[in-house]
Order: sequence, then C-alpha cells, then structure tokens
Amino acid sequence: MTVFDLWLQQAINGLSLGAMYALLALGFTLVYGILELINFAHFNIFMIGSFVAMWVLQSFGLSGQSVVLTGLPLVGVLLAALIASMLFAGVLGAAMERYALRPLRGITGPAAMITTIGISYILFNIVVLGIGADSKNFPNPLPPMKWHLGGPDGAVLELRQVLIWAVSIILMGGLWVFVQRSRMGKAMRATAQDPEAARMMGVEVDKVILIAFFLGSALAGAGGMIFGLYYNFTSFIIGFTAGLRAFTAAVLGGIGNVPGAMVGGVLIGLIEAFGGQLIGASWADVIIFSILVLVLVFKPTGLFGRLAPTKS
Amino acid sequence: MITRRAAAQLIAAVAATSALGAGTARAADEKTLHIGINLPLTGADAQSAKRIQQGAELAFDQANAKNEVPGYKFVTQSYDAATATAGQYDPVQAATNARKMVSDKQTVAAIGPQMSGSGKAMTPILSEGDLATITPASTNPDITNPKFAAQYRPGGKPIYFRTVTTDAYQGPEMANYMAHDLHVKTVYILDDSGAYGVGMADAFQKQAEKDGIKVLGRDRLDPKAADYTAVLTKIKQLNPDALYYGGVSQAGVKLAKQSYDIIPKVIKAGGDGMQTPELLTGGGFPAAEGWYATIAAPHMTSDTKAADFMKAYKAKFGDAPEDYSITAYDAGLVIIHAVKQLIAENKPVTRSNVRDAIQNSKTPTIQGEVAFDANGDLTDRTVSIFQVRKDTSKPLDDVEAQFHYIGVAPQA
Repeated sequence: MTVFDLWLQQAINGLSLGAMYALLALGFTLVYGILELINFAHFNIFMIGSFVAMWVLQSFGLSGQSVVLTGLPLVGVLLAALIASMLFAGVLGAAMERYALRPLRGITGPAAMITTIGISYILFNIVVLGIGADSKNFPNPLPPMKWHLGGPDGAVLELRQVLIWAVSIILMGGLWVFVQRSRMGKAMRATAQDPEAARMMGVEVDKVILIAFFLGSALAGAGGMIFGLYYNFTSFIIGFTAGLRAFTAAVLGGIGNVPGAMVGGVLIGLIEAFGGQLIGASWADVIIFSILVLVLVFKPTGLFGRLAPTKS
Repeated sequence: MITRRAAAQLIAAVAATSALGAGTARAADEKTLHIGINLPLTGADAQSAKRIQQGAELAFDQANAKNEVPGYKFVTQSYDAATATAGQYDPVQAATNARKMVSDKQTVAAIGPQMSGSGKAMTPILSEGDLATITPASTNPDITNPKFAAQYRPGGKPIYFRTVTTDAYQGPEMANYMAHDLHVKTVYILDDSGAYGVGMADAFQKQAEKDGIKVLGRDRLDPKAADYTAVLTKIKQLNPDALYYGGVSQAGVKLAKQSYDIIPKVIKAGGDGMQTPELLTGGGFPAAEGWYATIAAPHMTSDTKAADFMKAYKAKFGDAPEDYSITAYDAGLVIIHAVKQLIAENKPVTRSNVRDAIQNSKTPTIQGEVAFDANGDLTDRTVSIFQVRKDTSKPLDDVEAQFHYIGVAPQA
C-alpha cells in the first residue's frame, strides 16, 4: 500500500463517516434554525432508527451477514427498511415536539432544552432495559462488492460506502430543494427569520415547527439505518458519540445553516480519519474539538455563518 | 442509576442494619449469611456476567440444599455493576455496590467483580470494611500487587482473592504462543482504555518484545465510538503479522467486524475479554472466525471433573455454562469451605475471620485444589488458549462449541 493509496483509503473512510454525520447534523440545524433549540433527543432518535431498520430487515428473514440479496429484492428490502425507520423516527420526533415541547413554547430559559435531554435519556433507557445493552448483529444483505483503486494492494471502495454516499446525497439534496423551492420550505425560512412576522403573514408556525421536527428526525432515522448497514451492528449507545460529533459538525458549519451542516459533517468525518492516521485514534475527540474551538474563536458563527439574518 | 432491584436491596440492607442495631457480633450470631455478588449484569457483557452469577449461585444453592454448613443458610445478593450511561461495567457503580455490601452487616464475603476496572474501584472500600471478595474473572495484576497495597488494600490485609490467574500471565503467555507457535514477527497492539484492557495490552507488549516480536504500534480505542476504520487502515498499511487486542466486548465486537473487512488475513487475538458469547452474537460469523482468545484458568467445561457441575447447571438454568461459571462456582466453594472451617474451629463467622480462613484455605474444587499466595493470587497459573472455529452443527452463540480449545499456553 503506497502512501497515496493510504490517504485515498482514509479519505474514503472519512467521507463515509462524514456522510452519516452530515445527515445527523441536518436534523440539529433544521430545528435550531427555526426554534434556536438544541434538540438532544436527536442522538437517540438516530439510535432508535437503527433498531427499527434492524427489525424490518430481520422481519424479511435476514440475519447477520449470511443472507445476500441482489437486484429488486435488495432494493425493495432496503427501501422498506429505510421508509420504516424514517417514518418511525419522524413520527417520534414530531410527537415529542407536539406533546413535550409545544407546551413550553414561549417560555424563555433552558426548559425546552432540558426537556430534550430528558427525552433523550428516556429513549436511551427504554432501549437498554427493553432490548439489552449488548451489541446487536445488524443484518447486511448487500453483496460484498468492492473495487480496488490503484491495484490489488491499493485502496478499497466498498458497495456499502457508495450506498451511504448515494443515500446521503439524495436525502440532503431533497431537503435542500424542499427548503428552497417548496411552499412549506419558504414558510420554514420565513419562520426562521421572524416567527412573529411569519405568523402575521399567515404562516402556520406550529405546523412549520412540527414538520421541521418530523424531517430532522426522519433524517436521523435514515442515518440510523445507514449506520447499521455500514457497521453491521447497532447498540443502544451509538447515539452519543455520533450525535455529539454531528452536533459539532452543525456548529462547525454554522448552526441553522443547511449547507453548513453538510460541509461540517464531511469535514468532521475527514478530520477523524486523518487524525486517526496521523496522530492516533485515541486522539480523535481532542483533534475534533480543538478544531471546533479554533474555528469558533475566529468565526463565532461557524464556517458558513447563519444564512438567515439573526433576530434582533 | 438505581435499579429497582438495587433499591430493594438497599432498603433491605438498611432495614437489616437498623433491626440489628448495628452490631457485628450480633450479626455473626444470625443464621443467615449474605454473599454479595457484583457483576455487570445489564451491560454489554451481560451474557457472560449472567453465566458467572449462575455459577456462583449454584454453589450456594447446593450447599443450602445439602445442609453443608448446619445451622447456617447462605443467601446470595446480586448487585449490578453496569450503568446505562456507560453501557457496560461502571467503576463508580461498582464502588457504590461495595459500599452497600460493606454496610450490610450480614454480608460475610463477596464474589466478583468480573471487570478489573470495577475491582480497582471496589478494593479500597472492601479493604476498609474488611470484606473479602473472590473474583472468578478479573485478571488485572495491579490489584493484588503489593507495590500498590496502599491504593488497593489500605486496610492492610489482602481482601481480593482470585480463582483465576492474572494478566501478568495471560498477556505474556499469548505473546509466547504467538512467537513460538504462530511464528509471529510483527504485531500491532490495541486496547479499549479500560483498566483491564490497558493492563493486558501492556503485559502482552512487554513479553512480545522479549520474545523478539516487533511491536509496530499501539493505539487506544474509544469503546463508545463506532468507527475504527481509521486506525485499522493505518494497521493495514503497516502490515503486521498479528493484531493483539486488550479489552472487553463493547469495543471488541466492533473491532472484530471492522478488522475482518479491512485486515482479514492478519492473525487476531485477545484475552478473556474476547472469550465471550458477545463476540459470537454481536460480532457473528464470519467476523469472529479465527480470533484467538485466552482464559486465565484451565479449560474445564469439557473435562470429566466438571461433568456433575455441567449437568446441575444445565438442569437449573437451561443454558450452557462457560469456564468462568466454573471459577465462580469454585469461588463459592472456597467461601463455603472457609465458613465450615471456622465452625469446626469454633470461631465466630465474622468478616475478618472469613477473610483469614479464605487466605489460609486449601479447597478442593473443580479446577483442582485452590490455594492463594500472600497477596490473594491463585497459586496455579494456567492460561488456556482458544480459537474461534465455526462449527455449524452447534448453536453459533455457544462458546463451548465455537471456541476450539487449543491447549495450555506456553509459560515463558
């Protein structure tokens, strides 16, 4: 393996990680952009999404890595799992907003944020107590296709990595188009700029917020499924590290800023991979958070800042 | 986190203490002896912890049923050492459990912990309370090393006994096996940041260097992180003959999966933290295939000496035990034997007498005669080596069937 192959391989590793962080970061940013609320339950909605995907795949008779599907059955099974995990996570997020957060709307102070932390812990403990704390073997029906770049000894690109990128790009692109082009997206941007004015112009602010929670959580559900497919395992604990890094990605890119979250996610993934190569895997968090601190010192609004003008 | 069971135990302990009017002498007159069992019963290692718990319980159940110690009844009290936030054993919880045991006056001895990280947190408290514990699985040598006596036995006397040997033998003997039998020339070493994992990897590294194996690097895994591809890609580029992992299953399962994808041809080995059902269920095949693992005890589950135990265990619990179920059972036998000894000598069954009796005991057990050196370590130092070899005729999560016994590790 030459040095070039090595860097190429770490770039592939980093981009795969980054795609997942970016999907998660979008959920943080979407909600923050509108409500200026950091939704800590997002961590564990992601985790629950991966469990839902696992159960759906298992219900098709898949277990472990022993069954491989191709063609239409593969696409069908993956789509079913993706839709189920996105729907479940989306409804969970929307329900949380409707029943736990909406009653707190208008109350200043940290009450809403603490509520999201509380819900996060509730979800987490339900999974630990109900399902158990050991790592679960996530079914992987993908054929073990891989491409060798630069000779048999060079970097390896696997099908599941291509799949992660494809799904992430489609979902992120879809979200971008939705926010920029659709009526509801316009209402979201209006609410983010000034909820009072938006309300006066006839925007149903409650509905907009509900949909933001639904979309953000659905992306987390998709992220959970992608996580399972990529790593072939899931566990109750996956939300913490991934969620914290995704949150960091959102802040790095400029929280509230949708393209910023995407770029931030990919950057964090790459930093993690190259940091692991150059310094050591045990230093990953130190490196990530040092860069975050540095960026914030020089550019407090993150790399991209907030697109919407801040409230005065 | 306080579980309902722990809360109930706490209430019971408080009630017992107040009812007794806090007197050790009177507690000793009671006919019921409590044995505290501290294991990570809900964490990532729950499956193996449960098998250890059941092994220990079987010893006391049998003693009660046979009225082994007339006039005394053993009651085991299990404490969960895992917390939801850690997702596995949590040393802070273990320390809390140690306090609960010490404050329950009827507790005369304990079994556990499974994890050395827990052991390090528990020993100062147990030592001050003069409560002996016998660990059937924790292998970090520091805890019993007299060099660290001020830290782990401030009360003076050893209170941490083992029915397994330590990583001072487990790690190095795997290095010997790699050097002599697998002809490994280069190795990369990983640990999981825990007390057990780091100690294990250190001990392995030292002996590997002595054996002439070149150590290409050493890194540390965050057990809560999901992605180890960066470090594994680095290892791939260094192209070592072998990878050694010191740690338990939370990081180990993910390592097995990802190393299978990235460095499938490298020889992979771990310690007793990898000789677990979790590697087979969470890791699964083909990722687990070929992994070497050790245990810090003789391999007994297929031994004829253990046949009665195996039968009784399966009849009572329905599933198959593992070797550390037997070391736990043996730990139970040592405690029962010590209590019997005290009664035969007409001494009161107090904590400190039980401790002394354990220290001086020579107990016939399944693994042979168990005796301890001056620090509480097992005098026998057998380490057994296994390799995962898929046996499709047996359940794929059966440790006994899927971990193929290779033999006793070469000692230096």
